[in-house]
Amino acid sequence: MSHVSFDGATIFGARLTRRGFLAAGGALAVYATIAPRDAFAQGAAPSHSLDPTKSSSWIEIRADNTVQFRTGKCDFGQSSIYVAYPQIVAEELGVPLDAITSVISGDTDRTPDGGGTFGLLRTNVVNLRKVAAYTREAILEVAAQRFGVPASRLTVKDGVVSAGSQSMTFGRLVQGHDLTLVIPVRGNATDFAGLVVDGDPPLKPVSSYTIVGKPLKNPSLTAKVTGKTLFASDVTLPGMWHGRVIHPPTLGSTLVKAGRLDAKSFPDSRVVINGNFLGVVAPSEWEVIQAARDVAGSTEWTSWKGLPGHVDLFTHLREKVDWSAVPVTRGAGNKGDAAAAMAGAAQVHTASYEFPYLKHAPIGPAVAVGDVQADGTVTVHTNTQNPQYLRKGIATMMNTSIENVVIRTYAGSGHYGRSNGGNAGAEDEAVLLSKAVGRPVRLQWMRADDLQWSTQGSAMYSTVRIGLDARGRVVGYQSDHFGPPMQDDRLIGALLAGMPTIDAPAVTVPAPHQAQLLVRDPWVYHQVPNVAEAGHGTLQIGQQASPLKTGLRDHSMRTPIQFQQNFPREVALTEAAALARADALQFRIDHTSEPRIKDILARLRDASAWQSRPSPSPEAASSGDRLVRGRGVSVIFRDNGYWACAAHVAVTPSTGAVKVERMTLVVDPGIVVNPLQLKRQVEAGCLMGVSIALHEEVPFDEGAITARDWLTYPILKMAEMPEIKVVLVNRPETGVYGQGSETSNALAASAIASAVFDATGKPVRRLPLRPDNVRRALSAQA
Amino acid sequence: MLTLTVNGAKRQVASAPDTPLLYVLRDELGIMSPKFGCGLAQCGACSVLLDGVEIRSCITAVGAVATGTSDITTVEGLPARWAKQQAQPMTDSSLHPVQEAWIEQQVPQCGFCQFGMMIKATELLERNPAPSDDEIKAALTTSGPSAHLCRCGSYAAILEGVRHAASLFASKKSVV
Repeated sequence: MSHVSFDGATIFGARLTRRGFLAAGGALAVYATIAPRDAFAQGAAPSHSLDPTKSSSWIEIRADNTVQFRTGKCDFGQSSIYVAYPQIVAEELGVPLDAITSVISGDTDRTPDGGGTFGLLRTNVVNLRKVAAYTREAILEVAAQRFGVPASRLTVKDGVVSAGSQSMTFGRLVQGHDLTLVIPVRGNATDFAGLVVDGDPPLKPVSSYTIVGKPLKNPSLTAKVTGKTLFASDVTLPGMWHGRVIHPPTLGSTLVKAGRLDAKSFPDSRVVINGNFLGVVAPSEWEVIQAARDVAGSTEWTSWKGLPGHVDLFTHLREKVDWSAVPVTRGAGNKGDAAAAMAGAAQVHTASYEFPYLKHAPIGPAVAVGDVQADGTVTVHTNTQNPQYLRKGIATMMNTSIENVVIRTYAGSGHYGRSNGGNAGAEDEAVLLSKAVGRPVRLQWMRADDLQWSTQGSAMYSTVRIGLDARGRVVGYQSDHFGPPMQDDRLIGALLAGMPTIDAPAVTVPAPHQAQLLVRDPWVYHQVPNVAEAGHGTLQIGQQASPLKTGLRDHSMRTPIQFQQNFPREVALTEAAALARADALQFRIDHTSEPRIKDILARLRDASAWQSRPSPSPEAASSGDRLVRGRGVSVIFRDNGYWACAAHVAVTPSTGAVKVERMTLVVDPGIVVNPLQLKRQVEAGCLMGVSIALHEEVPFDEGAITARDWLTYPILKMAEMPEIKVVLVNRPETGVYGQGSETSNALAASAIASAVFDATGKPVRRLPLRPDNVRRALSAQA
Repeated sequence: MLTLTVNGAKRQVASAPDTPLLYVLRDELGIMSPKFGCGLAQCGACSVLLDGVEIRSCITAVGAVATGTSDITTVEGLPARWAKQQAQPMTDSSLHPVQEAWIEQQVPQCGFCQFGMMIKATELLERNPAPSDDEIKAALTTSGPSAHLCRCGSYAAILEGVRHAASLFASKKSVV
C-alpha cells in the first residue's frame, strides 16, 4: 500500500519521486531499477542515448495529456506493437487510445527492456501491462495528494482522475512537475528474455475493459502502403559502401585461396579476407555484385562431405544417430503405465511420422548496415526480433563491452523466429566488413545466401503408439520424438572468421540453447488414462564434422518443436479414430475433458459443415485419375489458447496432387484483444501452414543446402490458396490475452494430411504432401 | 547520363546502362518502395510499372528503359498516377484506390512484398476494373514473369484488397 508524503510515495514497491518543479511542461516518466550491468551500460554510453537520463523511460505521461511508451520488441507485421500494445496500455492506464501518440520500439539505446519478439501477447505484454498499472497507481497517488483524499476514493476514466466534485486530467496532474517513478525489475536487458518487471501492481479488471477487444486498424499501415516506411534494407548512411559475402560452397569448406579481383573492371572494389570469411566491398551495389561474382569464380575452397542428404535424412536419423548421448526428456502430461496399457489393448495403432527441415524463407534476404567507428563503437542497423541479444553477440564477437554496441531497428521482411536470438545472418558479417574498410557497409545477402547460409527449422521423426480397448477408447498413448536442437544463435560471420561467439547447442549449454529435445506439445486428451511422451535429442547434423563448426544449424521457426510434435500426434489420432471406426472430430471430443476444446470442436463441426462419419471416406480411392475428396481435423493448445482446424482437400491419386479447397479455423485464445488483427493473423498463419504442408522441405546433398532460389525452395502461390473461414471465440473470463498468428500455421499440415488419409484411405506420414511423397504413400501396401 | 521518367518526373542518372533498374531507383534516385527479394524475377518484390505493364526491376537493365518515352511508376507515384487518370488535383494525403483498399482491408503484415502486390493489382485493375476472384488470383500467380510471393501468407487479405480496390475504382472513377 502506498505511503503518502508530499514529494514521494511507494507505489506497490515502485518509488515515486518529484525531482523538481518546472515552469513549463511537466511529465511523469517511468524507469526500471537498474541491474548492475545495465547501470554501467547506461552510465558509459551517453553518446548513444537521446537523453541518458531518460533512456530507460518506459511510459511517459506528459502535461499535454499525451502518452509515449517504449518496448524493446519489434514489429514484424504482427501489428501488436502498434495496435494491441496501445490498446492494452491505454486500457490499463485509463486514458483514451488516441492519447498514446508515440511508440518507440526495438532500438537498444532508446528502449528499456530487451527480450525477444515472440509471444508478444503472452509473455512480453505482462511487463508493459504491469508498467502501465504502476503508472496509473502513481498518477492516483499524485491526485490523492493534490485533492487531499485517500487514493481509494479516486476513480479514473478517459484520462481524468475524479474524487467527488474534484477532477483533473493526467496532464494537468503532472503539469509543472518533473516526476519519476522507478519500478522494480530483475534480470538484464541483454538476457535472452530481457528484463522482467517485478511486483504485483493491481490490474484493471477485465470486466471493465472498453478499449481491449475493439477491431482497430493498424496505424502503421498508411506509411507502409505509401512507401514512406523506412525498411532496414533502405537505410543509407553518409559514406556507406555496399558489401557482398562469398560464402563457402559447402557447410564445411575452408578457404584455400581467395580469388583475384579484376582491378581494371572493378577499380574501387576491395576484397576482405578474415579466416574463412570472404567478402567484397564497393561504393556501388551493382559493382559489388559483379565484383563478388568475379572473385567467387576464381576462389578455391576445400571440399567437404558431412551431411546425409535430405533423401536419406530419416534413415540417417533412425540408423546412424546415437540417441543415448543426450538425456531423454519426458512430457509434462505423462501418467499411468502406457506400456502396460499397450500390452492389454485390443488394437494398437503404431506408426512413424517425418517432419523435414524448413526454411524461414523471408521474402527479403537478411540485410544490415554495420558501422564500426575508429573508437571501437559499433552500430548495426537492421531488423531483428531480439536487438539486445544481438547487441551482446556483436560485443562478444568484437571483444568489446556491451556499452560500445548499439542496435537500431527498422521495419523489415518477416523473420518467423529466425532472429529471435538476435541474428538473421547478415548483421555480424556487415560489422566485419565495416571494420575491415573503416566505413559503414550495407551487406545485402543474396537469395542464395539466405537459403544456404541461414538456420533452418528443425527436422524430426516421431514414433507413435495408440492403444484402443474393445470399445474403441484410447487406453494408452506413447510418443517418442527424435530430432536435432531448436536454437543455434551463433553468429555465422564469427564462425567463418574464427571469432568469439556463444557455444553451439549441447547438453551442458543452458536453455534455450540446449541439445535436449523437450516435449513441447501440451497433452490435451485428458480422458486417456496412460500417457508416455519422450524427447530424444542429438547435436546438429554435420556440425561436429564441419571444420567451420556449422553443419545444418537449426533455429526456432513459428510454433517451434510443438509443430513438429503436434503433427504426428494429430495425424496418428485420426488414424486411431479410423481403427476405432469413429468420427475423427467426435473422437477428439470424447477423449478430452477440457470444455474449451469440446466447445471449439463443436463450433468447428458447424462452421466447416463437417460430415460426421469414420474415415476413410466411402468414396475413397488410392489409385486412378478420379478426383477424391476428404476432410481432416486437428487440435492444438498453445500460449493459453485452444485452436481447432478442419481441412477439406481434393486428391488426384494417379498424380499425387493435393488441392486444399477449404480451411476452417476456430480459435479460443482467451481475451481477443483485437478481432480484426487476430483474424488477419490467423488467416495468414494458416496459409503459411498450407505452404509448409504442400511444398516445403530443405533440400541438401552431402555437403551443402542445394536450395538457391524460389524454384528450389518453393512456397505457396496465390492461385493455390484455399477458401478460409476463421471463427474467433472471445473468453474475457479467462483474464489472459489471446496470442495469435503462429499457432495457426501448425494446424494446417496435420489437418491436411488427415484429409488426404480420409480421401484416399492411405496414410501419408511424411511432409511435405508433395506429389512424389503422396504417390509413394498411396502405392504402399497396407 | 541516361534519362528516365519516374513517377512523372524526368531524372538524370549516372549508372551504367547494364545496371538493373532496381539499384538505380533505390541507390541513385532514393526511390525505396521496390525491394530486393531475389534478383531473379522470381518473387515480384521489385515490381514497377513500365508504361502500365508490370516489370521486374531486378532484371531490367536501366539502359533498356531510358528510352525517353518510357514511363516508370513505383508505389510512391501511384497517387499521382490516379489523380492524373482522373484529372483530379493531388494533395499530400491523396491515395491510389489500391493503397486505400490495402489500408481499409488491413492487407500488409511485414509488408515487404506488398509494393509489388500493389503494382500488380494496379496493372490488373487498369485493364480489368471488375476482375473475378479467379482473374485476381491468376494475375498474381501466372500473368507476370513469376508468381508474386508472400511469405507471411497474406493472400486472403490481398484478394479482399483487390476486390475492395475494384469497388473503389468503380465508385470513384470520374464520369467523363
